[in-house]
Amino acid sequence: MEIADFTKPIRQSSKGIIIIFAFNAFRFFKRFFVLIVAFGLSLSKKKTFAIFSPTVIFLIIIGVLVLLLIVAILKYLNFKFHLSEDDFHLSTGIFNKDHTIIPKSKIQNVYIKQNFLQQLINVVSLNIETAGDNKSEIEISALDKPTALKLKKELFNKAHTNESQTEGIEANTVFFRVSPKRLFLEGLSQNHFKSFAIIASFVFGLYYEFKDYFKSFRVEEQIEKVVDLDDESIFNVLLINLGIIVIGLFFALIFSVIKTCITNFNLEVVENQKTIEINKGLFNKMSLSLTPSRIQNIVIKTNRVKQYFGLHTISVKQAMVNAKQRKNFAIVALEKDQVNHLIDKLVSNYTNASEALKPRPYYKRILALNILILATIINIPGFFIFGNGMLWANLLLIVIAVFYIHFGYKKAYYKIDHQFLTIGSGVIDTTTNILEIHKIQAVKLKQTIFQKRRQITSVIIATASKSVTIPYISENDAKAIYDFLLFKVETSQKDWM
Amino acid sequence: MSFTNSQLFNDALPKIDDVILKPISKQYIKIILVNKFVMYALFFGILIVGKYVINKVVFQEYFWHLFFVTLVFCVLNFSIAILSFKKRKYAIREQDVIYAQGLLVNSITTVPISRIQHIEESRSWIARKFNLATLNIFTAGESGSDLSIKGLPHEEARQINDFLSAKVNGNS
Repeated sequence: MEIADFTKPIRQSSKGIIIIFAFNAFRFFKRFFVLIVAFGLSLSKKKTFAIFSPTVIFLIIIGVLVLLLIVAILKYLNFKFHLSEDDFHLSTGIFNKDHTIIPKSKIQNVYIKQNFLQQLINVVSLNIETAGDNKSEIEISALDKPTALKLKKELFNKAHTNESQTEGIEANTVFFRVSPKRLFLEGLSQNHFKSFAIIASFVFGLYYEFKDYFKSFRVEEQIEKVVDLDDESIFNVLLINLGIIVIGLFFALIFSVIKTCITNFNLEVVENQKTIEINKGLFNKMSLSLTPSRIQNIVIKTNRVKQYFGLHTISVKQAMVNAKQRKNFAIVALEKDQVNHLIDKLVSNYTNASEALKPRPYYKRILALNILILATIINIPGFFIFGNGMLWANLLLIVIAVFYIHFGYKKAYYKIDHQFLTIGSGVIDTTTNILEIHKIQAVKLKQTIFQKRRQITSVIIATASKSVTIPYISENDAKAIYDFLLFKVETSQKDWM
Repeated sequence: MSFTNSQLFNDALPKIDDVILKPISKQYIKIILVNKFVMYALFFGILIVGKYVINKVVFQEYFWHLFFVTLVFCVLNFSIAILSFKKRKYAIREQDVIYAQGLLVNSITTVPISRIQHIEESRSWIARKFNLATLNIFTAGESGSDLSIKGLPHEEARQINDFLSAKVNGNS
C-alpha cells in the first residue's frame, strides 16, 4: 500500500465512513435503547405503537440509518489533517468548521488502538493526547496500519529531534509475552469482591431500568410465592441467601477470568532503546508506549495467592494522561525478576536497600476506627432486616476486623533514600509505591486535633499523577521528612517531566 | 521508632519549624462570617416559611427538633470558623510557598516555586469591598496539590503574584 504524504491535507482511509457510521449508530441506539425496547414490546403485544403501523416504523428506522450514513460521509469528507514543520493540523466539522493546531512539542502521547470492528475491516485508530484536560484528545478513527505507524513516528520524531535521532535504527526486543496459563491464573487470583460489586451493580441497574417491565411480568409475586413455600424456617431463607451469594461469587470469578483474559490478550512488552511499548487486547487491541521521563509513580501489586503463583502487576502512572487511558498502563502476570528488570529500565538505579520504617502503632487505631464505622453502617439497616440474626454476622465482622487491622498495619512501611521514596500499603493486596523524589509537586503535613496531643502527623506527597501518604508517623520524623523532601526537590536540577 | 538517618536528614536543612508564618488579613473573617450568615439565614428562612406553608402533621411535629439541630450546627460552625481563622497562615520562602490551615484537621502544604504552573488572582465583589484578594496557585499535580490562599490584602497579593510570576517565568 502506498504510504501517505503528510505534508498535504489528507483524509483518513475511506473505511472511516464505516467506523464513524457504526459509532454514531451505536451511540444513537444506546441513547434510545429503552425507547426502542418499549417500541418492540408494545409492538409484539398490539401490533401497533401509538398511531404508527409496523411499516411506518420500519421506514422511520431506515430513514434514521440513512441520515446517520449521510452525516458519517459528511464528517469523513470534512475531516482532514496534515503535518507542517512543527505542528499537527486538523480540520473538522460539517457546519461549524474547527481547525486545530497542535505543536508537536506539546504532544504527550500517541496511542494506536483497534477495536473489534476496526479489526474486521483492518484499520487502526490513532489517538493524540496533549497536556490539559480530557477534551484535548484527538482521535483519527481509521488509518491503515503502516500509515498510522509512520504518522506516529513523525509526530514523535520531530517533537524530540535533538534527543532521539537514533530511534530509526534501534533494536526492539520483545521482553515479555504472557502465556495463556499465566493469564488464566492472573484472572483466577483477582480480587473477586470487585467483580462481584460490578456484577451486582449491573444487575441492579438492569433491574432498575426494566422495573416496569418486570412488574408487568409479575416477577415479584412469583418470587414471593417461592419464598412463601420456604417460609417454614429462617434457616431455609438463610440458605437461599447463602446460595445466591455463592452463585454471585462464582459468576464474579468467571467474570474476572474472562475480563482479564480479554483485556490482556496477547499482552506483550517490547523493549525499545528509550521507551517501553505495551501491546494487548482481544477486541480492543491497543499499543501504548511509556517514556521514562514522563513516569510519575510506579505501583506494584500482588496478593497472597498471586505471590504463590509468582504473579505481579506493575502499573505505571504517567503525567497528563486522561483518566480513561490511565488504567491501561498496567502489565499483569510478571515474575519477580521481570518486575525488577522493568523498574530498572523505567527508573534508573533504583535500590530497595534502605531501611524500612513503620508508621506508629496509632495507625492500628485508625484502621480499627475505619472498620467500626463500616460495621455501624452495616449494622443499622442489618438489625432492621435480620433482627437478632445480625449478632451472628457481627462475629464474622470481628474476625474480619482483626485480619484487617493486623495486615493493614503489617504491610504499611516507608523507605526513603536520596532519589526514591517507597511506600508499602494494602490489606488484601500488597501494594508497593515507588516515586522519584524530583518528581514531587507538593508536600503536605496533616494532623488532626486528636493527633496533636500524641504528636502524630501524616505526610502527603503529591506528584503529577497521584498523591501518596506516609501515614501516622511521629511529628518530628514527619517534619524531618518534609524538610528533606523539599530540600531535595528545590535543589534538584532535573525536571519533573 | 525514632528517625535516625543522619546521612539523609542532617540538621543543616532549612526547617519548617523555623519559618515564621504570617496570618492572613483580619478583614477576611468578616467575609467568612457574612457568607455563613447568608447561608444560615437562608436555611432558617426556609424552615420558618415551611412552618407556615406546609400543613403536614409530621413536619409540624418535628419542626422544633429540626430547628434546634440546625441551630446547634449553626453555632458549632460559627465557633469553629472563628477559632480556626487564627490557623490560616502563609509564608513565601525563596524557593517555595507555604500555606497552613485548619483547627480540627490542621494541614500545612508547601509547593516549590519551580513546580508552579500558573498563578491566578481572584476577587469576589465582597472581597473587593474589603480590598482583599485570593491567590490560587496551580501545579501540575492532582487538584489536591493546588494552593488557594484566601484573604490576602490586595496590595500584598499583587506583590506576591508578581514575585512568583517572575520566578516561574525565569525558571522555565
